[in-house]
Amino acid sequence: MRDVLANSSLSFEEIDYIVATGYGRINVPFADQQVTEIKCHMRGVHSLFPNVRTIIDIGGQDSKGIKVKDGRLVDFIMNDKCAAGTGRFFEVIADVLGVKLEEIGQRSLLSEHPANISNLCTVFAEQEALMRLSEGTSVEDILAGIHKANACRIYTMVARIKIEKDVAITGGGAMNIGLVKALERKIGFPVVVAPEPLITGALGAALIAGETAAALGPRKLEGMKEKRRLEAVTFFDQESKPEHGKWH
Amino acid sequence: MSDDNKRGLAKAQEIYNNRGRYARGLKEHGKKIFGYFCCYPPIELLTALDIVPVRILGDMEEPVTLADNCLPPVMCIFCRSAFDLGMKGQYDYFDGFVGSHACDAAERTSIIWANYIKSPCNFHLDIPHTAHQAAVDFFREQIEYFQAGLEEFVGENIKPDALKNAIAAHNHQRALVRELYELRKPDPPLLSGTEMLKVLIAIMGMAVEDGNLLLNEVIQEVKERDNVQEKKSRLMIWGSLIDNAAFTELIESSGLNIVIEDTAIGTRPFWHDIRDTENPLQGVAEHYLQEVLCPRTFRDSGRNYNQDSEMRFGYLKEFAKYWKVNGVFANIIRNCDVHGYEVPVIKDYLEGLGLPVLVIEQDYSTASLQSLRTRFQAFAETIES
Repeated sequence: MRDVLANSSLSFEEIDYIVATGYGRINVPFADQQVTEIKCHMRGVHSLFPNVRTIIDIGGQDSKGIKVKDGRLVDFIMNDKCAAGTGRFFEVIADVLGVKLEEIGQRSLLSEHPANISNLCTVFAEQEALMRLSEGTSVEDILAGIHKANACRIYTMVARIKIEKDVAITGGGAMNIGLVKALERKIGFPVVVAPEPLITGALGAALIAGETAAALGPRKLEGMKEKRRLEAVTFFDQESKPEHGKWH
Repeated sequence: MSDDNKRGLAKAQEIYNNRGRYARGLKEHGKKIFGYFCCYPPIELLTALDIVPVRILGDMEEPVTLADNCLPPVMCIFCRSAFDLGMKGQYDYFDGFVGSHACDAAERTSIIWANYIKSPCNFHLDIPHTAHQAAVDFFREQIEYFQAGLEEFVGENIKPDALKNAIAAHNHQRALVRELYELRKPDPPLLSGTEMLKVLIAIMGMAVEDGNLLLNEVIQEVKERDNVQEKKSRLMIWGSLIDNAAFTELIESSGLNIVIEDTAIGTRPFWHDIRDTENPLQGVAEHYLQEVLCPRTFRDSGRNYNQDSEMRFGYLKEFAKYWKVNGVFANIIRNCDVHGYEVPVIKDYLEGLGLPVLVIEQDYSTASLQSLRTRFQAFAETIES
């Protein structure tokens, strides 16, 4: 928070209302409200693309389907038990194939014969990618197969809440052109991607904070601000942290 | 035995936390203890012979290890967990075990319980999966065998009035639990879902008369205290049972108040009384087969899809109406086929009533609970919007 304030012309006291979102939302001691990333992505995308009815959020740890109607959150679905269909899967595969994460999407588009990747478990898919490599399959074909298989998995999950036009993709997955194209093929029509798909959730949180602050009014906000303290966000047990800032 | 100074909710909490110690205390005072699996064994017969029925539960905090040598991992993890606790000696105070063919997993568990855990006395009740007259007659006959077996084990017959008195005591317990449910109708409810769960689990490990005393204390305490609950969206739970307060606490700290549970540790064992019939076992058989509404029993269906849904789930509409429910959580313990197969139709039915439904297939482990928080919180946000 101090870093954010240092890079802006704002002081902590000037902030009227703070919404925390994402996995760490419950560990933000100075937040006035916690809102899930599901609702925040919905609000952020709705402000950018009012016609979007379905959002597919592909993050580093999970992927989600979110349904919007008239700017309201009406349904959602998420997977978080398995790395398949998430950014982590692509990180592992990029590492195995020795390709930079930012390049895997573009290179997958160069494939003419996508490899058949049958297994969607991250660990087994890693083995399968290595096996294809040893068989002489090109990196591009393997990447295309990986993207196709993941798009299929994400599509099947989101289809359970019915995919309706327009569809937006958010999260780190939206920055992978190969995944976006594979999903478009599966869905059957083009999707929209926000200019900054990593922060549509933060945008939504800010919009919710703005609305809430307006509804509360200056007097209530002043009372809340007086109690608020800028404390460090703690995600780990501080006592077990080693002195030199390195984890053993 | 529990600390006699504690009363009401504090006493329920203590027994919930120390079920084994409480049961062993009863045993030291000369009581016989029988464990029973699921909510189908007719515990009235145990009470009639002065045996304390203790409901067998699993433990979401204990990893399943020993049971996996005997039961396949594709089976319901609640059953595997309960059996695992048995293998680890946590139910070694049982004088007897009563299992049943409630569902396939319960049947397998019951049968191998006798082989591996070797409680001094074992029963397996064959419960039909339909509820028509021939099935009731068959089940009554099974209960007669059960009675004869119990009498032989104890060495005395059930006295003529003892069964009627036991049925009356358990019916009184059912009425008291329903009275407690009434206290969850106000908004916010006077009693949280977590408190309710602890009370129900406590009374499922006590002699019925002691359980009734506890229920009376809880009802009085809840009526007299200031309402401690916050106003939140009102949730009904349907599906597999929840037997750990960590789960209800997670739900209730995610913007939801649990107001009613159509589960096996909820309304199901308590919602209907056993009717007074000339042969008491007839009333017992009818009650368990026709009125304990677990989808393990197939009931008469209607002529078309809508009529069928209405006949099977109409009671949920009543629950939703009178408990002013805003949303439903369909809780599926992984591999609970009985409830899992119902999800598409029950979701369709409840959404048709305008009730949003959150379906979660969970791993029956407190270690994996926190990852569900976002789902419950987002579900609360869906209801609010």
